[in-house]
Amino acid sequence: MLAVAGGGALSAALRTQSAQAFHFCGHLYTTGSCPHPTGLPRVDRNGFPLRASDGHPVDDLGRPVNAKGQPVDARGRVLRDPDGQPLPPAPRTRVCVKAGREHGFTAHYDGSWHRCCHGRVRKLIDCCGYVRRRINGDAALTGYCYRGRKVFCVTYYDTKVRC
Amino acid sequence: MVGTVGAARSRGGSRGLLAAALAFASGLCAGAILLFGGLGLLGRELRPGTLLLVAAAVLAALAAVGDIAGLRVRPQLPFQVPEEWRRRMPLARALFLYGVLLGTGTSTYVPALAAWALLALSFALGSVLHALLIGLAFAFGRALPVVVLAPGSRAEALSERPGGLRTARVLAGAMLAAAAAALLAGETVQAKTIVYRAEDPSAYGSDLAWQRPGVGGFLRHNGVVHQLLGTDPALGGGLVAWRNGPEVTVADVATETPVLQEQIPGVQKLAVSKDWLVYRRASSGRVRLYAQSLATSGETLPVSSARLPGMLGRPALDGQRLVFSVTTQHASWITFVDLSTREARRLRESRISQLLNPSLLGSRLLYVRNGRCSQTLQEGRVARRGQGRALYSLPPMAGWDLGHERGFSKQGERRPCRGHTRQTGKVLWTTALGEHQAYLTVLWPTATGFAPALLSVHG
Repeated sequence: MLAVAGGGALSAALRTQSAQAFHFCGHLYTTGSCPHPTGLPRVDRNGFPLRASDGHPVDDLGRPVNAKGQPVDARGRVLRDPDGQPLPPAPRTRVCVKAGREHGFTAHYDGSWHRCCHGRVRKLIDCCGYVRRRINGDAALTGYCYRGRKVFCVTYYDTKVRC
Repeated sequence: MVGTVGAARSRGGSRGLLAAALAFASGLCAGAILLFGGLGLLGRELRPGTLLLVAAAVLAALAAVGDIAGLRVRPQLPFQVPEEWRRRMPLARALFLYGVLLGTGTSTYVPALAAWALLALSFALGSVLHALLIGLAFAFGRALPVVVLAPGSRAEALSERPGGLRTARVLAGAMLAAAAAALLAGETVQAKTIVYRAEDPSAYGSDLAWQRPGVGGFLRHNGVVHQLLGTDPALGGGLVAWRNGPEVTVADVATETPVLQEQIPGVQKLAVSKDWLVYRRASSGRVRLYAQSLATSGETLPVSSARLPGMLGRPALDGQRLVFSVTTQHASWITFVDLSTREARRLRESRISQLLNPSLLGSRLLYVRNGRCSQTLQEGRVARRGQGRALYSLPPMAGWDLGHERGFSKQGERRPCRGHTRQTGKVLWTTALGEHQAYLTVLWPTATGFAPALLSVHG
């Protein structure tokens, strides 16, 4: 009985620890995600949007795309119109730049920090600008931004480095 | 209220009566603008969607039936305007404030079920302008009996003759029923599939042409549909154009007697008018648009070029005026070219959305706007910027995740769209603009790609 009770308590404690106060792994503060076509602000190393679930590149419409920006299906085949022509590409914008356009500031990727998430090193990147308010609507903080810029929103890049 | 306004005559004569009536009417308008305009603004921001609009229309229909049948108004508000205001304040100010309260329609006794339905409609329509019109009509309706009866101080006229209120309720109910029917009809019969497995419409007058993939081009002329001797048909200026492989034919639409036949290697899509043939062709890894004069000179102008297939949309002509879409990974725009002057300009441009396959008729411009949260068929004016109005819409092509990782807080999450929970595999595609209706290709997902369907949309 003691073992069962002890095991239950340990299990409950672990569950409590795994529930984080922030909305994705590695995020240290309360600043919200940058606007991203598919939700979670996963980006590639150049800041372009990736689908968080599988790391597939997506355009600003949220569609999975190939290297030419052409929309593709679940198997990676180019989507074609009834005449066999590829469907046209849509704009694909760096997530931080798009946040700047939508909220009226010039966006900068400044500093970043790294955490181990799901067995890989994750690079967490602040999207910075000369802003007083962050995307949450309250006061923006300096975070990892330079030259007087402040954090407007956050993105992340999942590296292939195991941890 | 008739008595209160009428009392102004004994204090200030006709001028006082006029000032009191104006103060009351102004207050009614202010109250209506505040509440109905606020609901419209809320609706515009929250985008309640078609389902709620249909629900509001059904509620309006029920309210109309209730008013026509003379049912008791439920829910009812047992409130009255503060009587002491007219003793404590200057009469004009008190009447203005009474007007503000009555103009909202929900701060005192509610005289008709229609009032509740109007509030719901103001929100569900999602349009500030429409909500304000509803509010001002409501204010006008409330002001009219007071302003008419006050000069004669016939304060008891309404209570002594309840038939007046009954008639007003019946009239309000009838009008509300008509509005609800129009709204429901507008939502359900707005778009109709006219041809399955058909795409790329082209319209001129009452004629319509389209392409059936793998079959050929079809023409509906004077109500009779027949197959053309080629594919990718286009109509304009009393002419019809089609291609048979690289051989392009331009013919009289009535007799189909060729007026031009020529070989254009790599030709894909056509547009035609009385003076011009515009075609898109692929060659040397690029797609290009050319405009060829149908006059005796037969000069050919290069119009545009793109590296990747799919980047240059299908061209459309209206007389000397050409429109086509260009889509890249950085932006998307609609180009307008006046072929008589060779002047080109961008009519619409977006770095967020995809603008596709425009068509043109007179001052009207029709195109597809494919955004993150919806796909819409937009109709606007050539000379004006702005999106114009949406004639038809579909949910977006892509879905989204939870906005937070599993096991983590929702705090800080951000989803791309509000109020939408579904995506569609359908794609809005090519357009054509007729005098009384718009035409649109919708691509339906299949196991092997897309199957098109041709819709007519009444705008």
